Amino acid sequence: MRDSMRRSFWAACAAAALAGCGRHAEVESPGEVRAAFRPVLPDSPADEAWAGLPVHDAALLMQDMVDPRLMEPSTGKVRVQAATDGTRIAFRLRWDDQDKDDLPGSARFADACAVQLPAAPGADSPAPQMGEEGRPVEITYWSAFWQASVDGRPDTINAIYPGARVDHYPFQAAPLKDRSEDQKAMALRYAPARNLGNPMSGPRTQPVQDLTVEGPGTLRPAPVTRSEGRGVHQNKSWAVLLKRPLPAKVGPGGGTVMAVAVWRGDRKEAGARKMRSGWVSLSLEARP
Amino acid sequence: MARVYNWQIGRETSYWYPGSRPKKQFAAVFDINKCIACQTCTLACKTTWTSGKGQEYMLWNNVESKPFGYYPLGWDVRLLDKLGAQRWEGGRYAGSTVFEAAPAGERVLGWGPEDQDYAYPNVGEDDCAGGVTKGAATRIPHDMMWFFYLARICNHCTYPACLASCPRGSIYKRPEDGIVLVDQTRCRGYRECVRACPYKKVFYNALTGTSEKCIACYPKFEKGLSQQCFLNCIGKIRVAGFLSTPKEAREDNPVDYMVHVRKIALPLFPQFGLEPNVYYIPPIHVPEPFLVQMFGPGAPAAVAAYRALPKDKDLSALLTLMGSTERVLSRFRRAGGSVEGYDESGTEVIRVPVTEPAHVRAAIDVAQGVVRSNIT
Ligand code: SF4
Ligand code: SF4
Repeated sequence: MRDSMRRSFWAACAAAALAGCGRHAEVESPGEVRAAFRPVLPDSPADEAWAGLPVHDAALLMQDMVDPRLMEPSTGKVRVQAATDGTRIAFRLRWDDQDKDDLPGSARFADACAVQLPAAPGADSPAPQMGEEGRPVEITYWSAFWQASVDGRPDTINAIYPGARVDHYPFQAAPLKDRSEDQKAMALRYAPARNLGNPMSGPRTQPVQDLTVEGPGTLRPAPVTRSEGRGVHQNKSWAVLLKRPLPAKVGPGGGTVMAVAVWRGDRKEAGARKMRSGWVSLSLEARP
Repeated sequence: MARVYNWQIGRETSYWYPGSRPKKQFAAVFDINKCIACQTCTLACKTTWTSGKGQEYMLWNNVESKPFGYYPLGWDVRLLDKLGAQRWEGGRYAGSTVFEAAPAGERVLGWGPEDQDYAYPNVGEDDCAGGVTKGAATRIPHDMMWFFYLARICNHCTYPACLASCPRGSIYKRPEDGIVLVDQTRCRGYRECVRACPYKKVFYNALTGTSEKCIACYPKFEKGLSQQCFLNCIGKIRVAGFLSTPKEAREDNPVDYMVHVRKIALPLFPQFGLEPNVYYIPPIHVPEPFLVQMFGPGAPAAVAAYRALPKDKDLSALLTLMGSTERVLSRFRRAGGSVEGYDESGTEVIRVPVTEPAHVRAAIDVAQGVVRSNIT
């Protein structure tokens, strides 16, 4: 897109926001995701700052490259908005989902979403379905299970199955003192994933996780999660804010590509069973 | 999918990965005829491994009454129904395995239990099949009513469906002993393995968000010791060891002898195609069609061999060794009225009489001034 066109697009958005038609008449951006420049990024998906920012409808396709695949389409599209402050980029993803699936259970799966960006932006993007060997992509993943945990769901079986009764956990027996280090250490021995530091095994302080991947099956957690997020379920749809550092070599006035994915818990979607988009252009508004 | 050879079904079958057998394969024999459903095994496992938060409903070891007991609910009948006709032509399985029957887009034919399917671990306990009619109640034994106890752990399958199904490759089979483990650092809780395992022996931990399963007590097994559920078995129905392939079977290896040489111990649902490594001596009082469906075409011969045990010196000697020691036995030998067990290094670790000596005591204990009563 030529610079003059870019400028007139942002002018039109500003006019729309000023006219107060943000929520009801959103400014569509059919061709690409446009990240507005904002010195202060929104902190919540419900922030008024999102009103008037252009919305791109990312069409979703079934993950159909590796088994297990999704054989029945579910979520059709995600409404994507973005904003940057020059160092970080915030996305708001919204999609329709009647039920809020945020309670784990042996057969209960989480509503979830993710944003994917190439680790090294360039003219020739890596494969859109989770990158390829030697050409990694970065993923910020949000889960409704984790959101509920961050929002205060206790780390107990009764938070999951209110009617459950437990006679006894060995680490709650004498002589171990309640809340003592010894008690914690023993409880950890019965929670292998936590004991081994699996970064997704909770309890959570962030509902998101940063991951890198070089092709299906190679997903691994980033050494530290620098992203933040927050999801709210309202009016039969999810609105999720994901905020992450800008990828290397991408800044205001520049661009890269992005992809999104959505999992529906009530359809037992997880991992490879997901709806995902192809690469969509992402352009960043220049500093004013 | 690759092609692999599965001796339990007498033919090649498809599998997600090319076949590579471990150097050694952990295997077990359970004698169903001796199980009393005391659930000591279940508790031994539970207290050792799954007493944590999020593991409350997990039973890596469970004992269910057949035909109406299941944990989780309907685990076997639901898959049998999906799999369709399961025909055997002699020792060759002519139907489809769970890998061959995988629908488009799936690696394995499976199904996912619902939460409540785990809520009734004792459903069907001691419920009998059939009714007693036509005066059968006046005859003993009668063959109309039956049930039996099926003790189950993970089968540490040669071709594990759990391993095949994981898109992240988070499940692995140890080359040194064939034990199948979920890597707790890698698992992301997708539960493909829960869906794929026909025996439903992988469980989701809702608090840690990962799937967990029987680890065959590997810290003990590595030291030549039997698993907790084996050691604590009240009925002494269990024995652990290393199983060879049929061609390499050794007559003096307890599990080889029962599985390959005498064919008295049979796999559970061999038609699923996983080559499971827990072998069962089938119950001898159960109608043949049920046994054949559950343990394959070898069931009638296994029952006949068990019924002939009183005249079968070697086999009855070996059966008395079961549950007699915590050490894993790699060799046994019958010598006179005793049977000896040896560990991997060739050291004798146990010797038991094949027939227990009988002591006849006087009806009145004069020293104590009491009358003795018979308690058997
Ligand atoms: S029994 Fe199930 S969990 Fe165990 S190895 Fe076989 S497929 Fe995996
Ligand atoms: S401990 Fe032994 S006898 Fe008791 S239920 Fe378990 S397998 Fe059966």
